Amino acid sequence: MKWILFFGALIGLSVCGREKFFGDQVFRINVRNGDEISKLSQLVNSDNLKLNVWKSPSTFSRPVDVLVPSVSLQPVKSFLKSQGLEYSVTIKDLQALLDNEDEEMQHNEGQERSSNNFNYGAYHSLEAIYREMDSIAGDFPELATRVKIGHSFENRPMYVLKFSTAEGRRRRPAIWLNAGIHSREWISQATAIWTARKIASDYGKDPAITTILEKMDIFLLPVANPDGYVYTQTQNRLWRKTRSVNPGSPCIGADPNRNWNASFAGEGASDNPCSEIYHGPHANSEVEVKSVVDFIQEHGNFKCFIDLHSYSQLLMYPYGYTVKKAPDADELDEVARRAARALASLSGTTYQVGPTCTTVYPASGSSVDWAYDHGIKYAFTFELRDTGHYGFLLPANQIIPTAEETWLGLKTIMEHVRDNLY
Amino acid sequence: MPPRRQPPPASGPWGPRPAVLLLAPLLLLLALQGVAAAPVGAEGPEDSPGLQDAEFPSGLLQQAARAALHFFNFRAGSPSALRVLAAVLEGRATVNPKKGCQVDLVFTTDHYNPEVGEEHLGKCSARVFFRNQKPKPAINVTCTRLIEKNKRQEEDYLLYKHMKQLKTPLDVTSIPDSHGHIDPSLRPIWDLAFLGSSYVMWEKTTQSLHYYMAQISSVNQWKTNDDTIDFDYTVLLHEFSTQEIIPCRIHLVWYPGKPLKVKYHCQELQTPEEASGTEEGSAVAPTELNNF
Repeated sequence: MKWILFFGALIGLSVCGREKFFGDQVFRINVRNGDEISKLSQLVNSDNLKLNVWKSPSTFSRPVDVLVPSVSLQPVKSFLKSQGLEYSVTIKDLQALLDNEDEEMQHNEGQERSSNNFNYGAYHSLEAIYREMDSIAGDFPELATRVKIGHSFENRPMYVLKFSTAEGRRRRPAIWLNAGIHSREWISQATAIWTARKIASDYGKDPAITTILEKMDIFLLPVANPDGYVYTQTQNRLWRKTRSVNPGSPCIGADPNRNWNASFAGEGASDNPCSEIYHGPHANSEVEVKSVVDFIQEHGNFKCFIDLHSYSQLLMYPYGYTVKKAPDADELDEVARRAARALASLSGTTYQVGPTCTTVYPASGSSVDWAYDHGIKYAFTFELRDTGHYGFLLPANQIIPTAEETWLGLKTIMEHVRDNLY
Repeated sequence: MPPRRQPPPASGPWGPRPAVLLLAPLLLLLALQGVAAAPVGAEGPEDSPGLQDAEFPSGLLQQAARAALHFFNFRAGSPSALRVLAAVLEGRATVNPKKGCQVDLVFTTDHYNPEVGEEHLGKCSARVFFRNQKPKPAINVTCTRLIEKNKRQEEDYLLYKHMKQLKTPLDVTSIPDSHGHIDPSLRPIWDLAFLGSSYVMWEKTTQSLHYYMAQISSVNQWKTNDDTIDFDYTVLLHEFSTQEIIPCRIHLVWYPGKPLKVKYHCQELQTPEEASGTEEGSAVAPTELNNF
């Protein structure tokens, strides 16, 4: 079809560059048969009209997009009308559209994309998160490394980002940031990966994170339950647990936050494999949990453990497994209140503060209780946005605001740890 | 997100009152002082006076407030005027170990739709009676009128017209989608679904169980004729203390200004996910409103 080749040759002419297009319009013209196509090519070919074909049809009955300069609008319209060619104006002012796009692109820069275009204001696949972790390590080689600490039940790698300014192999006091242990709580993984880039970017610029990193290492696990996360993306958005097989039961998975060795199988957990809070056959039965436990125990010098969940807007400290007051409860409460105030200072998001058991519900075998009982004094759980309106399905446009305010809370806690090392 | 005010600590005497709905607002206006916004991020969960006993689930007042609001929203029957809990101002509980637990409380409410710019804090007083761990608490609730009844009906009618213009059958699967997005044209469906779910959530709430609407997982039928909107959908409720996701099939019929009619059936038992078909709930028989 010669006319297709002819039209094809015209595509892409001089729309790039700094030419201006005030008042120029794009017409979408319906061509239903060969006769109409030849009429249209007549029009396009006329030199003085200076038309520009954007999209030519590959088959009949597909529309043609043509850029019509403002000076040619009248003659073109008359022609189309006289030839009985149907059309609609899809772009009323090309320059206005281009100006708009420019604005949007600048705005998108504020949307915080990394150099390989990872959009922090969106939810991502596991692969994309892992790639971005690698990318952060690549962008900040002196500070960040991606470390494999184990694998999941379905044999996916468990990656943490280690942020360290230490030289040599000294085991500095360390902070563990845990996220995504309950796979449906997507704001947790999303906040974690944003936080990872924040830590890396702000080191050397923000005095708080800089001084924290001069004294301590930070380990960040954005996806503590990779199998569950993949399952929420592919099969069931509201899946919470791991994906391990329970012998003798058709139900899959255990609640990884009831599987830690802290009053394991106590109150606030279930022994029914079909339950969302099934604690598992024994403590650390879930390989995802065991990987973290082994790593932390082997390291031996963690001072702080923070676990990110959603939803409810709560900032809590031990215990979940008992109403008895933790020995450091007063100090933890004070730190948590300050952190909640810092968090709220950004957008007014209010968090309630208190010990887990009475603030949300009794829960045994939780990560934070285990950490605390193993000498990691500064142990906190965040339940991020919101308070139930969207719940687990928090809209992506709330990711960055949530991450930014949470960062203020995290910094408050980490600064306190830095100033109160034991 | 609009900031929610923190409650000041629950305070003292609020004697038992007869459930006189007409007098209650007036008495409240006379009795209550203006509420100062508490420092942000300050207070912990509500401790009700005389209920320091660890036996009681934390946040009993919040529990009662939520139940009262579900009931209120259902009875108001207005998808454009849904309210959500802002803060519990004060409350008190009386326990009869044999029968149950009565909670009298005052709480503030916010507009359900967070996109609505201005904060229109409403105030409600309620008496909620939880029968020992049984669902469907008995509720008397009065709320300050925020919008003129006529204006509210106007908004509802606009919503109704908007919904009637939607193409049927509705070409949607989940609302919101996995990324939390609700197409603006579908927002009224969500609000209407929430209205129907409020009835279900009220009936299922106990002292220790409370629910949120997580997602509309399917729209089975959406019929509009001149008189009503006939909406059959499946919703996923999230029960907080067990963390369970409960699918409920709900069928509602709505017309602005008329009482909402709801029928529903929830999957009560934990079904093994690989089992085919669903187990019918045996503990609680399907509840039907006989005016349907």
